[in-house]
Amino acid sequence: MCLEVNLELLFLLPIFLPLLTAIFLFFNKNLFNELITNFFTLNSALLSFAISFYVFVMLALDKFQPINYSIFQWTNTPDIKMGFTLDGLSGIMLLLVTGLSFIIQLFSTSYMETDEKHNNYFVYFNFFVFSMLLLVMSSNFLVMFFGWELVGLSSYLLISFWSKKPAAAKAGNKAFILNRVGDFGFLIGLMIILNTFNTFDFYTVLKSASDVPENTITLITLFLLLGAFGKSAQFPLFSWLPDAMEGPTPASALIHAATMVTAGVFMLVRISPILQHSKIAGMVIISFGLITALLAAFSAINQYDIKKVLAYSTISQLGFMFIAIGAGAYVAAIFHLVTHAFFKALLFLGAGAVIHSMHHEQDIRKMGGLRKQMPVTASMMGIGTLAISGIPPLAGFWSKDEILASVFANGGIYYIFWALGLGAAFLTAFYMGRHWLLIFEKDNGFDHSNVYEAPKTMTRPLIILGLFSIFIGFINTPFFHGVEKVLHYSLEGVEITHLPEGITLIVLAVLSIGAGFTGLLIAYLIFSFEIFKRFNFKRINLDYPINLVKDLSFNVLYLNKFGNSIFVSGMKNFTRKVAVIVDGLIIDGSVNFVSTAFGKTSRVASATQTGLVRSYVVYFGLFLLLLIGLFIITPMVPK
Amino acid sequence: MFEVTTDWYLTLSAILFSIGFFGMMIRKNALIMFMCIELMLNAVNLTFISASKHFGQIDGQIAVFFVLVVAAAEVVVGLAIIVSIFRKQSSASVDVLNVSRG
Amino acid sequence: MVDLILFFIPAALIIIGALIVVFAKNPVHNAMGLVMTLVSIAIIYITLNATFVAMVQMLVYAGAVMTLFLFVIMMIGVDKKEQSSESIKGQTFLVSGVFLILISILGYVAISSEFKWDLWFEAVEFAVEGTPQLIAGTLFTAWIFPFEIISILLIVATAAAIALAYDSKRKKNDV
Repeated sequence: MCLEVNLELLFLLPIFLPLLTAIFLFFNKNLFNELITNFFTLNSALLSFAISFYVFVMLALDKFQPINYSIFQWTNTPDIKMGFTLDGLSGIMLLLVTGLSFIIQLFSTSYMETDEKHNNYFVYFNFFVFSMLLLVMSSNFLVMFFGWELVGLSSYLLISFWSKKPAAAKAGNKAFILNRVGDFGFLIGLMIILNTFNTFDFYTVLKSASDVPENTITLITLFLLLGAFGKSAQFPLFSWLPDAMEGPTPASALIHAATMVTAGVFMLVRISPILQHSKIAGMVIISFGLITALLAAFSAINQYDIKKVLAYSTISQLGFMFIAIGAGAYVAAIFHLVTHAFFKALLFLGAGAVIHSMHHEQDIRKMGGLRKQMPVTASMMGIGTLAISGIPPLAGFWSKDEILASVFANGGIYYIFWALGLGAAFLTAFYMGRHWLLIFEKDNGFDHSNVYEAPKTMTRPLIILGLFSIFIGFINTPFFHGVEKVLHYSLEGVEITHLPEGITLIVLAVLSIGAGFTGLLIAYLIFSFEIFKRFNFKRINLDYPINLVKDLSFNVLYLNKFGNSIFVSGMKNFTRKVAVIVDGLIIDGSVNFVSTAFGKTSRVASATQTGLVRSYVVYFGLFLLLLIGLFIITPMVPK
Repeated sequence: MFEVTTDWYLTLSAILFSIGFFGMMIRKNALIMFMCIELMLNAVNLTFISASKHFGQIDGQIAVFFVLVVAAAEVVVGLAIIVSIFRKQSSASVDVLNVSRG
Repeated sequence: MVDLILFFIPAALIIIGALIVVFAKNPVHNAMGLVMTLVSIAIIYITLNATFVAMVQMLVYAGAVMTLFLFVIMMIGVDKKEQSSESIKGQTFLVSGVFLILISILGYVAISSEFKWDLWFEAVEFAVEGTPQLIAGTLFTAWIFPFEIISILLIVATAAAIALAYDSKRKKNDV
């Protein structure tokens, strides 16, 4: 009993510690130099991680029984409270967020060293960590929504951190506005939930899900799904994430790769007990996940910005997580979330180190051959590339293979989905191989003699993340279902798609390894071995299709332009008409009418206000006599 | 034979008040207007005193004291205002004062 | 009979004085009419057993306040002619309107009550004497709080009057 009480109070500490740090740093903005700021923020992050670790161990000893704690009850009916919960799911996220936050802040201290808004960066960063923890630790939809909105806000602050750059300011706005579309859906979902269940509490909602007709469930999940699409950058609402790369690279690593964009996945897993009742929602999730995974992977093939490749790769991997959720493999989705967080953070931080050493040059065509100058970064990014490509025994293999195998295990139409997923995995390996080769291997003839290895504060986080990227996959293998055990209580009553048994699993694994290897091999052949130059394909003219693919990939199938012409220009025309007709005639007209009417009547009335005392005396007398007359006609005192 | 009852005092008071109010409306000199206000206040005082007698209670007379004090204060401030206005425009007529016109 | 004489003579004087206040052209005459009214009211007070109040009325009103009035009249001059014509637009109409309403109300009251006032309560038999002892006893016990407030009002009014009438410009020129 004593243990539980301690835990209840203790697991709130990692949530509010970053908030306190942010407030503390904000108010001492002018007082602290960089060293003191670093000292405070790193210690707070480390303490927060240590507490999270302790709490997680305590939770593990308690077999991951959920612990609920509510700070205060707002209303009883409907049941709305400021509640937090600690179970396997939020425990994993707690560890992930605080751990990565510490590692990335360590990296940031030297990456942001020379920036004049150094302190602000850490204020926003800590504020983001607080919001994210609020999101994942919430025990009801409302608190989750608070966190959901706050991560949007802090993400906006960090994207447009260098707000003097027009592109950064614009990217921040874009992210904010596209997220708003999703949040709108989320909000409507919340309203339906409150109307249906009369509570926001997860456990009550999820337990009573089977009493509610399927149509309502579908409606709720589809609206919540819109929110998840916005936050996790899925197909219709994905274009903000590549633009968000205008922000500082470490912030991108934490927000736009490891944590915030996975909020949608987290939320869908959280509501999986009601999600499984709706077949339509599952179908929608898996098809949009597939479209996103393929589209983003295809777009990543011909990008030249070092961070944009990673951004599209992130979108693609998020697509994989959505595929897993759509196929009912919730554990696989969370597992992929965790492994992806590590290797994508590694890749982003590696990219950050490269950018730092290249003096803020982000075009990979101007890099090449950096392996000799930056051996540690090169090898760590190599590990990340292998991990994301799904090469065993690195982390990405286990999670991605589990997703693909789970999709396969569903049978029927899911075989096609599996094949498409395998194609996306192949594309992933291909563009990641290209990415690494173009940066570190291929010699583009640029002089890099003044490029040196990043400082130790940058390489050490890389090494830590590299180790994790290698070994984190072993927490949930076909032989040891670690994550599933952790999530046992969170996914109580949920039918999880299990992996196929025996020879099928081995064949599937071999196939996905094959896809990874093929992708890497083709990348090697094209970009390092330069197969097109060595062998003259004179008989078949390949220039046209290659250029077409390059063009389409670089412009993301022209989806942005298409969207711009349809939505932006269309909306502009429409709003202009609305402005003229509705606003100009009806609203302005009525407002003007009211104002002129008031003006005329008040001009008439003001004629009585002569300013002369004697007129006022007369008015006074007039109304006094009227009052007396009224009183005489209707006496107020009974006789 | 007639007996002087409270009604008579009240009628006298009403007439006095009406005359004072009428003066307020027609006179333009601020000083005369103040005198009219004094007339009205005295009409009220008369009512208080007659009511005091009618009900056999002293409180009506106490109220007259308060009215007296308020009237004195009002006269003091009002006359000071008239003096300062007179210094400014060398006239005690209220009709030229219309700065608060709407 | 004495009662009637003691009522009607002061009453007539009161009304005549009031009419002088309203209609006389010379401000000094107006002031004298006001004195007449105030003194007659004091006589009425005495017939109503309010002797102390009558004394105070004589001292404060007919004495102090009227002296103040006369001072100001002397100060701003008696020969300032008031314009006899009505300058405010619609004032005549409104005044006559107020007059008409007043007369109609009075007529209604007189006719409906058959020339008798309905006072709701009967007059008491005993007479209460407004002696200084009785007034002071009530004023300093039951009414002490309003009494203190009214004294503050008086102080404020005095200060305000000094502030208003104090001419800083002229003083500077004198010195």
